[in-house]
Amino acid sequence: MAEVRLVNIGKTFEEGMQVVKNLNLTIQDKEFVVLVGPSGCGKTTILRMIAGLEDITTGELYIDQKKVNELDPSKRQIAMVFQNYALYPHMTAYQNMAFGLKIKKVPKAQIHEQVMRAAEILNIQDILQKKPGKMSGGQRQRIAIGRAIVRRPKVFLFDEPLSNLDAKLRGQMRIELAKLHKKLDATVVYVTHDQVEAMTLGDRVVVLNEGEIAQNASPMELYSNPGSKFVAEFIGSPKMNFIEGKILLLDGQLVFRNNELQFDLSSLNYQNLKNHIGQEVELGIRSEDIYPTASNLKNYVKVKGQIIAIELLGNEKLIYAELEESSLIAKVKAQHEAQIRSSIDFYLDLEKAYFFSKENGQRI
Amino acid sequence: MKRKKWLPYLFVAPYLLHLLVFVAFPVFFSLFLTFHKWNIISPVEYVGTSNYTRMFQDRMFWKAIWNTIQFLVIHIPLQLVISLALAEFLNQKIKLKGFYRAAFFLPVIVSGVVVTILWQQLLGFDTGLINRLLVMLGFGKVGWLINPDIAMGSIAVMATWKNVGLYVILFLVGLQTVPLTYYEAAEIEGASHWQKFRHITLPLINPTIFMVVILSTIGGFSLFIEPYIMTGGGPLNSTLSSVLYIYKQAFEYYHMGYSATLGFFFAFLILMVVVIQKKYIEKKD
Ligand SMILES: Nc1ncnc2c1ncn2[C@@H]1O[C@H](COP(=O)(O)OP(=O)(O)OP(=O)(O)O)[C@@H](O)[C@H]1O
Ligand SMILES: [Mg+2]
Repeated sequence: MAEVRLVNIGKTFEEGMQVVKNLNLTIQDKEFVVLVGPSGCGKTTILRMIAGLEDITTGELYIDQKKVNELDPSKRQIAMVFQNYALYPHMTAYQNMAFGLKIKKVPKAQIHEQVMRAAEILNIQDILQKKPGKMSGGQRQRIAIGRAIVRRPKVFLFDEPLSNLDAKLRGQMRIELAKLHKKLDATVVYVTHDQVEAMTLGDRVVVLNEGEIAQNASPMELYSNPGSKFVAEFIGSPKMNFIEGKILLLDGQLVFRNNELQFDLSSLNYQNLKNHIGQEVELGIRSEDIYPTASNLKNYVKVKGQIIAIELLGNEKLIYAELEESSLIAKVKAQHEAQIRSSIDFYLDLEKAYFFSKENGQRI
Repeated sequence: MKRKKWLPYLFVAPYLLHLLVFVAFPVFFSLFLTFHKWNIISPVEYVGTSNYTRMFQDRMFWKAIWNTIQFLVIHIPLQLVISLALAEFLNQKIKLKGFYRAAFFLPVIVSGVVVTILWQQLLGFDTGLINRLLVMLGFGKVGWLINPDIAMGSIAVMATWKNVGLYVILFLVGLQTVPLTYYEAAEIEGASHWQKFRHITLPLINPTIFMVVILSTIGGFSLFIEPYIMTGGGPLNSTLSSVLYIYKQAFEYYHMGYSATLGFFFAFLILMVVVIQKKYIEKKD
């Protein structure tokens, strides 16, 4: 059992900057939790507080039901993989992995056994005698993970471990990390600013915004049911499209209206919208819910746009279009004929639309 | 374009001139002198290799070398340990960091003569501050500069004090090149302060250590001002350093040829020592 529980955790640096605010989060035993958020939102700081490298200003941190606020990093039974790997450059891969055990005076034979076991898991037996300077980024990455495994920690902490790798290797390592988690059966807290990484790796994803939890849910839930504009915009690629407008009650009909379009909302299942009559809102819709034809759509609205760019993705393509006051990115089949600078009609699937309050960004 | 061909030469001319007058000429002239006898006043007289044979039989010269080695054996480790320890201290989060750094560096820029006179006041037998303090505390006086067994040690301590600021700066630069995450990684692995120092700091600042050893070796070999002013090489020639002896041969006895011979040999000796140090201290990757 290694549950990590953060209770009202806050962090204020000496200069008085509050970087983490009142964070409540429980990471279950053997769970793979990803902390994701834009640069500077406090991900690293949270991880470092769990590791014990940074003092906790307020709140309590529990590992395994034990309060560890004041506990030495080495006694928290955690292992951390740093963004820059932090491999000791004067030691070989083997020595790097053995270092923690060596200074604990573990017998040589046992050290060897543990290092070799980790090397086998990561398939790095052939580079054990190399020094970090002579390794590729991916190899260094593996050694850094190997060093963590050797310690047999209860909790693994990863701080953007893939951000220094090229795109191809990153994809590959992502899969390996997912496999590794299954093999090790350990609790993992993983920090990244890459939402794709978060979505593919996490059992659960915690989206952070300015030191606070914006949403804490499974990847699927985050994607299909974002709680705020911030989450909706952050998760998913290409970004969700947003169209500003107002909720109005016209002749007893609930409508969404802006200068270029107006449509009826009463047939839709958006009960909450009634409470926002007269307010500014934003309609959010994902690229894949925008179609070039109306076929198969029950509830839709048509918008007219001007194509400004087309990006071919393979069997799909992205059409960047400008409306009168906003812009859209639509994902359509690659076969779809579209010419740059020509005008196009889009049909937005209103069943898949989201509404967010303009005032506070919360989902309606 | 063609007219400006001389311009580059103009730019290097000052340095070239300096090199010729103050390096090349003295080297060749003293090499010439090693085969001659010259007392500045009388004409130069060729003596073959007799200066060299004399050197190998000159007990005083070998004693001076031995004295210098004794000095180095105390000075280098002391210099290394103290400046590294101070640098490590100044590299922590402490208050008044800037003040300490300036304070340690001060003796480096003060003239060696001034420092030496200052230490003479401290180390004097009857009126020296340190001895007076010892007496006040109920101890006996120590012959810091008049006991032949201690004098060279006193000078080594003083020379270390004088240069410590320079090496502290070098070590600080070295220490700051070691990324903080190495220490954090080690902390998570449970390394103690000493283990972090031993297994991370020391290997990673090896280039600085090497540089400090070389610099303090070369600096130490040229020990001169301190014994010249404080002890004149005494007591019982116990602080007679090689350079002081070479100086005396030249400017007290006017044995210019012989002095040049000693100088040449001594330079060769320093070179040998540095080469050996390079082999054993410098780690290559
Ligand atoms: N030691 C420190 N002293 C003062 N402020 C700090 C310190 N460390 C981090 N910060 C500030 O805290 C905020 C959060 O930093 P943190 O490193 O946790 O962000 P992050 O989410 O990991 O960002 P990134 O994705 O860029 O790594 C930033 O505004 C940063 O400037
Ligand atoms: Mg970070």
